[in-house]
Amino acid sequence: MTTEFVFATAQYDSGDWDSAPLLPANIIDTIARYTEITVAPTGAIVPLGDDRMLRYPLIYMTGHLPVRFSDAERRNVKRFVERGGLLFIDDHNHDVDGTFHKTATEEIARTVAPLAELPNNHPLYSAFFKFDGPPTTAHELNGWGDNLVHKHLMAVERNGRIGVLYSSKDYSSEWNYHPDSKRFLSVDNTKFAVNLVVYALTA
Amino acid sequence: MPSLRSRLEMWCRVAAFGVLGWLLGGSFFTSSNRRIERANTQNVAAHLESWTRAPSTTTLHLDLTAVPETWVVDWLAALRHSNHLVNWSGSPPAVALVTEPVSDPEGGVRIDIAAPTGADVVVRDEGSLIDSARISALGATMLTPIAIGNVTATVGSQRVGATPIDSARLKSVVVIGDAGWEGKFIASALEERGWAVTPHFSVAPNVDVTQGAPLIIDTARVSAVIAIDTSIRSHAAELERFVRSGGGLILAGPSAQSLRALAPGSVGARTRPTVHPADTMRLGTTGFYPVMSLNSGGVPLDRRSDGVVLAARRVGAGRVLQVGYDDSWRWRMAGAPGSERAHREWWSRLVASVAYVPPAAPNSNEGGTAAPLAHMVDRLGPAQAAVNLSGERPPVDRRLLLALILTLLIVEWGSRRLRGLK
Repeated sequence: MTTEFVFATAQYDSGDWDSAPLLPANIIDTIARYTEITVAPTGAIVPLGDDRMLRYPLIYMTGHLPVRFSDAERRNVKRFVERGGLLFIDDHNHDVDGTFHKTATEEIARTVAPLAELPNNHPLYSAFFKFDGPPTTAHELNGWGDNLVHKHLMAVERNGRIGVLYSSKDYSSEWNYHPDSKRFLSVDNTKFAVNLVVYALTA
Repeated sequence: MPSLRSRLEMWCRVAAFGVLGWLLGGSFFTSSNRRIERANTQNVAAHLESWTRAPSTTTLHLDLTAVPETWVVDWLAALRHSNHLVNWSGSPPAVALVTEPVSDPEGGVRIDIAAPTGADVVVRDEGSLIDSARISALGATMLTPIAIGNVTATVGSQRVGATPIDSARLKSVVVIGDAGWEGKFIASALEERGWAVTPHFSVAPNVDVTQGAPLIIDTARVSAVIAIDTSIRSHAAELERFVRSGGGLILAGPSAQSLRALAPGSVGARTRPTVHPADTMRLGTTGFYPVMSLNSGGVPLDRRSDGVVLAARRVGAGRVLQVGYDDSWRWRMAGAPGSERAHREWWSRLVASVAYVPPAAPNSNEGGTAAPLAHMVDRLGPAQAAVNLSGERPPVDRRLLLALILTLLIVEWGSRRLRGLK
């Protein structure tokens, strides 16, 4: 099928882009579990410096280390957002004083536009499941990072749609497990990923 | 055997009574030999006042190189109704002008001109010159973002005018299908262009992402519907009613399989298109469903080496487009520079070509008649061959005829008297 949704993970030159290797399969499982969206059974790894990244309108990006885009990456990310793509960046450190947060937000401000708080009544939070805001993760208060519960996600909007979504919630840790382990959870903690994908596909 | 003299007397008597009979007949029956007044394109207006006072038996003939202004034609038509014989000859150019608002949120006016092949047309509005063109086939079409006041086109000495309707009253565009990039980016492109878009995407069983009120498809609310995939089949009856009442429908990708009664053609197996050098698709192009075996009334509009990608068909009062592409979003996202704008404009044009636009009351046409020759033929009848007119004899002066009768009778009477007869 040519119209199937492919979950894409960003590969960038700096940093540890593959710090949550189990996350794509888990999110793909969640999408298939709750929706009728035709989803590719495996994700794709997309170098941000390659024009082919434009074939994936939703790209997930994470890491712990400083983010410094190359010129090609910067050019592609800019085009990607301008053309209607959604770049979801999650701070694997969940630390607003950490190097990933500082460098990634700076890079986004430089490449696209400064991030702004996303209101908790944004359509993203009601795109499929209903949320009062970004769901809290078990990792936010685990003694690492900034030990804060981050009340908002950050975003850059273009034409009324989110172009860059930035999270300090550390969903990369929260969702980074084998899909089969979901059965041990009383509440599926990956539901917000459904909202993210449905929003990207419909908004 | 009568002598030559008596035969001459007989001839004079017969001729005198013959002419007398012809005069008497002429007083009972209308003579075909009316007085003819002639005018041409340049001076016809100046003659109207005197022609109005002329006897109703006068024939008014126009030798035209261009159709006179509307009020002149209407005046002549009034004279015709008052028993004047009005006819015309010549070959004024058959020119027609139509202005229509473009069915696009960004507005604009489309100007269609029909004129003889090879004619030079100059189009202007009350602000300035719009464009000029040499007619190559049936006519010319011009697009202008705005038209100020009346639009006029001039072909030689012929001038036609029309008053554009302000703008098309567009309703929303419904995009229906399963959640996916194609629907999302079609909706985005149209919204960015200014269309009011009502997306209706199916995400899960009984879960649809939509805006506001439940989806109702009728021409009071919707100008066009875009079907992305075969999930449209649940709306088949509603859509057929919508199209037959004038609504526009675009069947993208495989969706035509679900609406065969409306589709311009059947859906072939998906293929990978040949990329032309001028395509902005470059990275974006993937494949398309060729339109196969066109249905009755189906017309191919765009053909690639791999098959027809775009076909159209009229169904009832509405129009249906079948678009082979099912992932045009790749064109927008991954195409060459400019592909985002190209994708937006392409989809907007597709929607504009089928969108239902409620008929608007035409503005008062102060710019003249849009088809002056047709108007004149309607009011005065078709051209009369000039050769017939040249064969017409001028009316005979009845005084001369009376003198002729008198002369004939005097000659006949004098001859008889000289012969001693009474």
